[in-house]
Amino acid sequence: MQAKTFNPQVFLEFICYLAFGGLMYYLVSSGKYLNYVTPRMKPYLYFTGVVMAIWACTGLFRLFRPQHKIRSAHCFVLTIPVLFLLLPHGPLSTADLSSNYVGGNALTGVTSNTGSADDPSNSIDTSIPEEEYDALEEEYEVPEEEYSAILPGLDEENKTITVSDDTFGMWLSEIYVNMPRFEGYKITMTGFVFKDVDSFKEDEFVPARLAMSCCVADLAPTGLLCKYDKASELKTDSWVKVEGTLHIVKCQYNDIEYDDPQIFVTKITPAEEVEGYVYPY
Amino acid sequence: MAFLMGSDIMKIPVYVVTGFLDGGKTTFLNNLLNKKDWKEISILVIQFESGEEDFHGRHNNCHKISFPKKTLEQQQKQIIDEILQNIQEHEPDEIWIEWNGVVPFSQLQLLFLNSPLHRLCKIQKVLHIADAEKIENILGRTGSALPEQIANSDFAVIRGARSKTAYKRIRRVMGGINPGINLYEARAYNDLYKQLFSGKGHPVNVFFQVTVLIIALYFIVKPAMDALKIPTNTIINVFLGIILQAVPFLLIGVLLSSAIQIFIPKETIERRFPKSIGLGMLVAILGGFCLPVCDCASIPIFRSLVKKGIPLPVAITFMTATPVINPVVILSTYYAFGGNMAIVINRICFGIIVSVLIGLTFANSSAQSHVLTGGALDRLMCSCGCYEDAESVTTFTGKIGLFLRHSQAEFFSVGKYLVIGTFISSIFQTIGTGIFTSSQSSANLALSIFIMMVMAFVLSLCSSSDAVIARSFSNQFPIGAIMGFLVFGPMMDIKNVMMLSSGFSKGFIVKLLLRAFIICFILVFLFSSLGGI
Repeated sequence: MQAKTFNPQVFLEFICYLAFGGLMYYLVSSGKYLNYVTPRMKPYLYFTGVVMAIWACTGLFRLFRPQHKIRSAHCFVLTIPVLFLLLPHGPLSTADLSSNYVGGNALTGVTSNTGSADDPSNSIDTSIPEEEYDALEEEYEVPEEEYSAILPGLDEENKTITVSDDTFGMWLSEIYVNMPRFEGYKITMTGFVFKDVDSFKEDEFVPARLAMSCCVADLAPTGLLCKYDKASELKTDSWVKVEGTLHIVKCQYNDIEYDDPQIFVTKITPAEEVEGYVYPY
Repeated sequence: MAFLMGSDIMKIPVYVVTGFLDGGKTTFLNNLLNKKDWKEISILVIQFESGEEDFHGRHNNCHKISFPKKTLEQQQKQIIDEILQNIQEHEPDEIWIEWNGVVPFSQLQLLFLNSPLHRLCKIQKVLHIADAEKIENILGRTGSALPEQIANSDFAVIRGARSKTAYKRIRRVMGGINPGINLYEARAYNDLYKQLFSGKGHPVNVFFQVTVLIIALYFIVKPAMDALKIPTNTIINVFLGIILQAVPFLLIGVLLSSAIQIFIPKETIERRFPKSIGLGMLVAILGGFCLPVCDCASIPIFRSLVKKGIPLPVAITFMTATPVINPVVILSTYYAFGGNMAIVINRICFGIIVSVLIGLTFANSSAQSHVLTGGALDRLMCSCGCYEDAESVTTFTGKIGLFLRHSQAEFFSVGKYLVIGTFISSIFQTIGTGIFTSSQSSANLALSIFIMMVMAFVLSLCSSSDAVIARSFSNQFPIGAIMGFLVFGPMMDIKNVMMLSSGFSKGFIVKLLLRAFIICFILVFLFSSLGGI
């Protein structure tokens, strides 16, 4: 039985496994996967790559076991994602989104304003449980010297915070969690001008970045609210560098009062567009 | 693709007739080959079984050889030599094979594709002959050879179907084994000829053609869509995001479910698993709590649990509870709602209560076998193309191999619905949410819950990520509605319904969907209007 014939279906599956697995590996190692999912998916994507590699190897054993009925349609399960990943398409910007503005508080340890106005019993508990708060406090009680090492861009002496593009998400949650600590600090951060027509006042805007909490489907603009007299002159979606002072402002929403950190803007300069999304937690 | 074409034109076409003993194979051959269309053609008929009827060529153009089943099993070398010799002697234009009904088709493939014969002959078409009266009965009882033959056939010929409904039923059974198989009445010779001699494109070539077509379409359609202000770029991004999120979990799901299928014998489950439904549900919920998988993974596991004979109510409870109450989901809910334990606990409790209730509504329902598309057959063998019986492979390496192939087959069969479902939901996600939120402005609590539940169904979010989306709606919707979203979404959505249809009957899916929706709605509505949330 020296005459062996070739099984095209197994070969096709083999190629698909390799292509999909290889692409997973490439996406993770090049960091391109961050355009679609959060860094938390990294181990899962590696896992996918490994399973695909194993499946491809087992296919090799059957490569020369011919069969009459050849099927190929099922391979599109792998081919279609591969094609879409490879064919040119750009990352998303705000203009593409229909979702709502998510305040920094949604991404941190503090809930604020929720519930329907007519039924107070429906509202979410607005404070974190006591023990919870203590745990948070403890976590952040670090000696002063070490503090700035953990939080890049913090200058305790001059009371300034310089938020670099990489630390946007981290600083956002930090400020929300430790609001009082940063009261009066000078802050610099970059984002695109975002104005929510329904709820923002004339002098308000957010220098926002797009935050991804799970995958690209849940992208939403996030950032700190700014008070700026000439906010109405700012062009929506243009990138700006904002300098100003952090203040805690009492806000009201649906009869519930809550603290919100806001920036009182002193200076605005146009900025280069920042690529990539923000990943909370 | 040159290696596929080779010198096929020079080869003798081989037509294979499969079917169970006394299914009418010989009668069929007698009728077909004695028609005058075949008069001028020299035919070699090879019979691998001797039924009640004998093959008689009337035009003296047929030469017949036959081998008993025993020779087939023990002396394949001899068979090959004899066939070779006959081919040389008679130089047939066509070879017709009557294959044995209880021998796997893979044996035939070994004979003709893996021996010197493959240089001379080419299997052109495989058809299956079935007796409408008996086929369903036989399929359930006679092991894996027959389903394997059906799966390898290009089309099937049905004899003696009395009514349209019987014909339809057979079509469904056959379709369950070989999706896309065409059925013909035995007397419809014109259709048969077409099937026998039509040269369909090679599937692999078709595959590459379609791939090229997709790429071409992409470059033509995308600019057109962009011009029409349809956000294709967003749809593609969202689609890829969900796929990259779901595929790893789907893989975990199919690996686990295949492991259950292959490594756990049915007897063990029957012996060890609690007999009472109450205790069984407790186990199901604990199991769900321990498995860090989302809904993409729980559906394949659900399918294999039902196949292994776990009581349906228990399996349903497992499937609906797992995506709501597992640790990953709990953690993501906790983060999304900023450490609000009330929401987390509510979600877990509702998840458990709703899933138990859904399970209980199925406690009195019909037999388990009607739920799966393949019926009783599906439990005999796996519906996805590997026909070795899990219980008959005993060596460990054999089982590993089977496990891998089974998981691949299951990945593809569920995966295609995942891709379709994801695509639909990514379109909805991109253009749809505005519709829901705008109708909210004038809504009362019941309508809000309803809107949020429908939205959860349509958006088909992965249960490990839906909490964040729910959070972004919490400014516009009351918390009761958010809870409806959080509890119903993971249990049922477009993606899940699609994936369920890879193995379950339509009636069952609709029933499950409706019951889940109603129970979830009533519970959430009652509790939130009583101020319980």
